[in-house]
Amino acid sequence: MNEPNKTAQQKITKKDLWAVNWRWALASQIQWNYERMESSGYLYSILPVLKKLYGHDKDKFREMMKAENQYYNTAASMGHIVLGLDIAVQEQEGIGAKDIVPGLKTGLMGPLAGVGDSMWGVIWGTIWGSLACAFAVKGSPVGVLMWLMANLCIYVPFRFWSIFAAYNQGVKLVTTMKDKLNAMTKSATMLGVMVVGAMIPTVVNAKVPFVYKNGGMKIVLQDMLDQIMPHLIPVCLVALAYWLLGRKHMNSNRVIWIMLGLSIVLYSLKILG
Amino acid sequence: MSQGIAIWQIALLTLYAFFSINESLMLNLGFIRPVFAGAITGAIMGDLKLGLMVGGTMELMQLGISAFGGASIPDFFLGAVVGTTFGILAGKGVQFAIGVGVPVGLLMLQLDILARFANTALLHRVDKAVEAVAPRKIEMWTLMGSVFWGLSRALPVLIILSFGQPVVNTLLQIMPDWLMGGLKVAGGVLPVVGISILLRYLPTKDFVPELLVGFVLAAYLNVPILGVTLVGLAAAVYDFKKHGKDREAAAVTAPAATASDEGGFQGDE
Repeated sequence: MNEPNKTAQQKITKKDLWAVNWRWALASQIQWNYERMESSGYLYSILPVLKKLYGHDKDKFREMMKAENQYYNTAASMGHIVLGLDIAVQEQEGIGAKDIVPGLKTGLMGPLAGVGDSMWGVIWGTIWGSLACAFAVKGSPVGVLMWLMANLCIYVPFRFWSIFAAYNQGVKLVTTMKDKLNAMTKSATMLGVMVVGAMIPTVVNAKVPFVYKNGGMKIVLQDMLDQIMPHLIPVCLVALAYWLLGRKHMNSNRVIWIMLGLSIVLYSLKILG
Repeated sequence: MSQGIAIWQIALLTLYAFFSINESLMLNLGFIRPVFAGAITGAIMGDLKLGLMVGGTMELMQLGISAFGGASIPDFFLGAVVGTTFGILAGKGVQFAIGVGVPVGLLMLQLDILARFANTALLHRVDKAVEAVAPRKIEMWTLMGSVFWGLSRALPVLIILSFGQPVVNTLLQIMPDWLMGGLKVAGGVLPVVGISILLRYLPTKDFVPELLVGFVLAAYLNVPILGVTLVGLAAAVYDFKKHGKDREAAAVTAPAATASDEGGFQGDE
């Protein structure tokens, strides 16, 4: 189905896609609200394309803007993909796309949000965040800079690249990429868990100051504990917090308050210091 | 006793708060993370190292937290900014800074809510602009959201830094040893919360061997964290490749393999 009044100058160019890219990157969540979440952010992003395709016809323009200003919410990291697909469909179908686009958007936003949150939100954040922390608690900015560089060199290029991939490859991309990202998330989880395991001895600091003296004999309790296992106390504290988090009526806030209180009590009892 | 904070420092930190919350909604390079907040606040206040230590500890409490609890999320960004600032002003070191920052973070819950409510009003202006086919207005009312977001962080920073000093001074005067020492211990202990949240959130039960390897490398062999990361990276790449081959094999043998698979043979010609 071809629009009769579609002319060559209405063709979407690379430049248009870049404009949409930047708009989504900068404004997708800037007006996030409880009523329709990212609706305006999406409309704002695709506006240059709508203007190009329908700017000559006020009614069509309005109709399409309304269609693009509906409830919408996905991970900012994956939103470029939906825009790429949307634009490809509109370029082909013209105003007829207004019946296809809403389904496309609502169908994709959930799965993509899931993939985006677990890959970029949790795993990516865990790995670089852990590194940054391990350096930072020792007073070094190296980890922070590495995190920043990783975001600039991998995360941002992925976002900007994905709109072109989606525009060129169509819906096929979503299935292949979803599979790949899921597999990648699983592998990256291995890395993430290993780093978390290494964090326990690196960033937790809890020592027992107790020293037993009897005549010439002197026993440092911490040395004995170290012989059983290095960093035994941090491991026990992690186990305690882990167990607490699994209890009913528990949330991370309460566990932080408990740990804060526990530290003060254990210090007063001279068990930790 | 503590010295005062300069007006330019308050102004810079307020601007930084306004900028970073907006940036987190844009490219999200990390400026809103507590560890960045600690570093940047430390740099502005003249003690980068202390800022990093405070921010790093706060970051450890926040890692994975947003993914875990459905409950209220503490604002450790504010905790890091406020804790670092007053820690440096008071000259009492990292522990005091953490002692100030953690409660601030815990008490400043979800300032997001204010911004997200305010933005609903803007949405209705956008709707009107759509009806009138006024693209310029649509753009303006959309971007206006950045003001509400910015203020949701900038105002608390401005207020706490401007008026918080007397509170901190009083704290310093009355703080008994058991509290000061307790906070010192807490600075070392609190990271366990973030670690536990991550362990709860990640499918740890399926990855116990990896957890042990990471721990042993760091605890017994004293491998620095970057070294452990590289070992983990090797394991992850190996796993990804291996499963990639499994997937390909499955695709070839499965009768339902699509004909469009590149490189796959098409048997029934």
